[in-house]
Amino acid sequence: MSAEENEPVPELDLRLTEENPEELYENAPCGYCSCLPDGTLVRLNQTLLSWLGYSRQELVARRCLQDLLSMGARLHYETHCAPLLLLQDQVRELSYQLRRRDGTTVPVLMNAVLRRDAQGEPLVLRVTLFDITDRRKYEQELLRAKAEAEEQRELLTVKNAELLRINAELDNFVYTASHDLKQPVNNMVGLFEELKRTVTFHDPEAVGMMGMFADALQQILNTIEGMTDVVQLQRQPNQAPVEAMDLLTFTKDIIRSLQASAADFTLDFAAASTLPLPRTSLHSILYNLLSNALKYAEPGRRHHVWVSTTHEAGGLVLTVRDNGRGIDLHRYGQEVFQLFRRFHPEVAGSGLGLYLVRRLVQQAGGQIEVDSTVGQGSTFRLYFPAA
Amino acid sequence: MDNLKRNNVTVLGTGQQTIVFVHGFGCNQHMWRLVAPAFESRYRVVLLDLVGAGNSDLAAYHPAHYSTLAAHADDVLAVLRELEVEQAILVGHSVGAMIVMLAALREPARVARLVFVAPSPRYLNDVDYLGGFEPADIQELLDAMDDNYLGWSAGITPVIMGHPERPELTQELNNSFCRTEPNIARHFARVTFLSDNRADLPQLDTPTLILQCAQDALAPRAVGDYLHRQLPASTLVVIETTGHCPHLSAPQPTIEAMNHFLASEPA
Repeated sequence: MSAEENEPVPELDLRLTEENPEELYENAPCGYCSCLPDGTLVRLNQTLLSWLGYSRQELVARRCLQDLLSMGARLHYETHCAPLLLLQDQVRELSYQLRRRDGTTVPVLMNAVLRRDAQGEPLVLRVTLFDITDRRKYEQELLRAKAEAEEQRELLTVKNAELLRINAELDNFVYTASHDLKQPVNNMVGLFEELKRTVTFHDPEAVGMMGMFADALQQILNTIEGMTDVVQLQRQPNQAPVEAMDLLTFTKDIIRSLQASAADFTLDFAAASTLPLPRTSLHSILYNLLSNALKYAEPGRRHHVWVSTTHEAGGLVLTVRDNGRGIDLHRYGQEVFQLFRRFHPEVAGSGLGLYLVRRLVQQAGGQIEVDSTVGQGSTFRLYFPAA
Repeated sequence: MDNLKRNNVTVLGTGQQTIVFVHGFGCNQHMWRLVAPAFESRYRVVLLDLVGAGNSDLAAYHPAHYSTLAAHADDVLAVLRELEVEQAILVGHSVGAMIVMLAALREPARVARLVFVAPSPRYLNDVDYLGGFEPADIQELLDAMDDNYLGWSAGITPVIMGHPERPELTQELNNSFCRTEPNIARHFARVTFLSDNRADLPQLDTPTLILQCAQDALAPRAVGDYLHRQLPASTLVVIETTGHCPHLSAPQPTIEAMNHFLASEPA
């Protein structure tokens, strides 16, 4: 025995509270009842009787615990609680509704213990009930919120499916539109070439207008091409196999096709001579970045474009830098990669190029960043994870 | 999918004939633990959990598939096929009784006899039929289940089954024996209490024992009498007990009634 246990009870006279077990049982701040194993009520305390509005005589030996439950609670009791009691001799924290004499209900939490006799046969069921009226309101509020959240989620799923469908339809529409436009525009190009050869104009300004017409035609063609590329990309998210293209040869070919005699190029692929990309993706990326770099040259300054690869933590970086007119990033920020977003209306363009580049880079598991100063030039960095 | 694993099948005992125990709504094969051992010395005893209950494969519970009791009956038959059982005795409690009946109707050769423990072919009242419940009562049950989400949820604490060597877990875990995934329990409650198998009864010619509890709120005496009238090859035995689970509240009389029935000549 510890010293503490040997000490006398403190001087305070506990008898002053007039506490006694019988009085505690009857008026405890919870409901008590004892039942036969089949539920027949044997004893109830005053607290429970006053909750229910029954007299002791009306219940003892005449009614069983199940009779005091609401119908739903009773079904739950018979199918779940009763077998549990017989299996594990106790249940805890069951949330039930008690039915009062006047038909109203009171929500309770029920704990119950099954006592067995010396032979192990069920002897008596002891039940404790707690009035949880306020807590119940709170729980119902939670349940309601949960149901609402689930409903919203369902709704979102439906909306999402609808949006996906609409998106696919739009892709189809753009594809069909670009496809249907291509043929007549190609015809126009052919017809125009033929016209240039055979028609003579008397107006001296006609030659200039012919040139402008040719440019406009080319722009329509480019836009249609770009739209076709974007739609193709969205329709076939599974990309083509990666090909190890020699960057130097590949880039030189593209520069040649761009007929960029008015600019200097510095190519440095010493760090990595290839990139983990399908051929078509690499072509689109380089073509768009280089043609942009050429298009947005700063007037009055010899144009220069640098293309290089470097190694960075865990991957490869392709950098395309120019000394052109630059973009006001403070103003436009990440809008540069948005579809049909244009910043230099005085220069011809479709607003598709950078959108397509970003999509292709992301498809390859990489990301793209831009750095730019107005009047000094832009730098695009494309990060690719190590293959 | 392995049928035995899907239904968490337990095979015990030895004997020529196989006896299969199918539980009802609200619990799992654990319910039979006071009754099944009495048959192990004379029969091969098969216990199973219906898909969605106990340690069955919860992932296999597709509500659309299990929207009828017939799907559960098919599972029972699949287990019988896998164990190469013919002429079995199928014992079903509550809604499990209707499940084993459907199994016997589908493949009569596999089933020699049926035992219905506290059965009901329909819980809802109807014209000229007293099942005991109104649709509002079933809604109340579903609400009560929602209120007892914690008690049903298998995710809150590990399931105790399979740890008999660790009795301390019993102390720790609350209401653990009959835990079920709440959404599945809710769905199965609906399927159970809205089922109506009255039309199937006259088709059955397998000898059947109906074990009726003297006082059962879920399957009242009138329902037992109705079943007995509708099933020509049936024997009705009333067990003097209160509640819906005579195999738990009165295991000995339940075993005796079954033994008597199984020893008798087919009617």
